[in-house]
Amino acid sequence: MKECGKKNFLNILMNKLILFLLFIICSLQVSVEEGQVNFDNEAYPFKSEIKESLFYSLLNELRCPKCQSSNLAGSNSPISNDLKREVYELVAEGKSSKQIKEHLVDRYGNFIIYNPPIEPATYALWFGPFILILLSVLVIILVRKRII
Amino acid sequence: MKKIIDALPLVVFASLIIVLFSFLSDEDDQLETALIDSSFPDFNLGSLSDESRLLTKQDIIKLPALINVWATWCIACRVEHPFLMKLKEESRLTIYGLNYKDNKLKALDLLERDGNPFEFSIYDFEGRLAIDLGVYGAPETFFIDKNGLIRERHVGVIDERVWEEKFSKYLNE
Repeated sequence: MKECGKKNFLNILMNKLILFLLFIICSLQVSVEEGQVNFDNEAYPFKSEIKESLFYSLLNELRCPKCQSSNLAGSNSPISNDLKREVYELVAEGKSSKQIKEHLVDRYGNFIIYNPPIEPATYALWFGPFILILLSVLVIILVRKRII
Repeated sequence: MKKIIDALPLVVFASLIIVLFSFLSDEDDQLETALIDSSFPDFNLGSLSDESRLLTKQDIIKLPALINVWATWCIACRVEHPFLMKLKEESRLTIYGLNYKDNKLKALDLLERDGNPFEFSIYDFEGRLAIDLGVYGAPETFFIDKNGLIRERHVGVIDERVWEEKFSKYLNE
């Protein structure tokens, strides 16, 4: 009886451990997919650390126009490498993050940034979820009050 | 009333499916073009056929014109090549080439072998003018009207159908 309880305990422990490991593996995969790629610094040398960190944060925020589901940092396609060079040169010139994004949006459209501006074409995108929440709250209230 | 409300989830679900399915058939390789109705960007690049000849925006003088982004590594460019040749023969439109990230010798070879539809080709090895045009793959074709404004852009092979649907109307302006 005692033996049996011990076995059970071990079983549960093993299960928990496996779950824990699976969890770790899954979260590792997510971080890889986010494309936080570190480059060797010699390809893009900078004189100041501020510029360097601006450069790498921009690569993570800008989208590769060819591969579409990846950012510039996570892509090695020829167009991404050209855009990295473009961003590198603009950062080296001392342009701000906002100026560089505008420079690229002027050429590639809003597609190139992951953060779309609030304008009539994107109202549904920005406000749709809130409208849905309001609607569902309304439905829940109506159901609870047994009006429906 | 009760019946309508009972049917509501089904109606919402059905309309959602219809909307989402309509997105599926969209051609998702066509990005919006930020440059529509703006003037052709400035550039300073060599000519494909003559390295010593520097080309700028001022060299694109025969308007209206097409600017075709092409390369020998781009298979789809070869597919549209005969159409560009035909267009050059049959219309009063000038076609300028933008040779994109290509091997110069191979490019010249191809024009020699298959014919040259271009008034001249700009040699953009580093893809600089291409970035200013928002190019993200070859082939791409831009229509420049008589005032030097970019009016239309097509990503992918240009053929009879694309020409009729997207470009021919600008020629008759």
